[in-house]
Amino acid sequence: MPKATIRNHLRTLRFEAGEMTQQGLADRVGCTRQTIVLLEQGRYVPSLVLALRIARTFGRTVEEVFELVEDR
Amino acid sequence: MSVILWTVLAVSLVLLAVFLVARLSRGVLPALDLPPGESLPTTRMQRLAFRALCLGVPLIAAAGGIVAWFGPTVYYDDDSVRLPVTFLLIAGMMVLAAPTLLAGAWVGRDGVLDERDRAILSRAPAGQAAAILIVLAVWIIGLQESYRGQPGIPRVFLYLIFWSCVEVSLLASNIGILIGYRRA
Repeated sequence: MPKATIRNHLRTLRFEAGEMTQQGLADRVGCTRQTIVLLEQGRYVPSLVLALRIARTFGRTVEEVFELVEDR
Repeated sequence: MSVILWTVLAVSLVLLAVFLVARLSRGVLPALDLPPGESLPTTRMQRLAFRALCLGVPLIAAAGGIVAWFGPTVYYDDDSVRLPVTFLLIAGMMVLAAPTLLAGAWVGRDGVLDERDRAILSRAPAGQAAAILIVLAVWIIGLQESYRGQPGIPRVFLYLIFWSCVEVSLLASNIGILIGYRRA
């Protein structure tokens, strides 16, 4: 199976959502600000529950927020 | 080689083992790219584990230092030495156990621990068993060599082995929490 990485558009979506802060997003989805920072940096892959919460916060689908990139 | 030197060797080996396991098991992650002047925010669990180590290590070191200074026999026979040492060891144990105990209380409460905190906490005890085994191995080998040819090993070492296993176990747990936040 090829190696895969997860890219996300959290930072862009936060700014589009009235410049929501990282802490503000963390409070809405029930995680710590550190988790949000690491998510945006691509250093942490969220669980399905957290991914769905984030997508719902922005009014988007999970696929619009997170992107699977497979190395070939 | 004296038992004290064996103890120092044991602690050094445990710390080296924890460090090597952490380095070898660290996955390849992209470098953090934060704005200038900004650092990664710490979590409540991280701060708790760090403070527990900052308070607990001096307490344990003080207890170990007193036993090393006076010797195991004096520690065992003299209440004026044994009671303060026991107090320091119990205080160190309570301080180091606080993060684990509080985490257990926080798990069921919304908004205190997130999924990443829980994942890190579940992995934190990974090094405890290895740490205890190393400490026991060094104690056994050290005592065997130190008291070779003698009819028995003083009973005081039963206390010292017990306390060193308890304290090293709790140290390893807190160090595991901090390492988990660095690499997760």
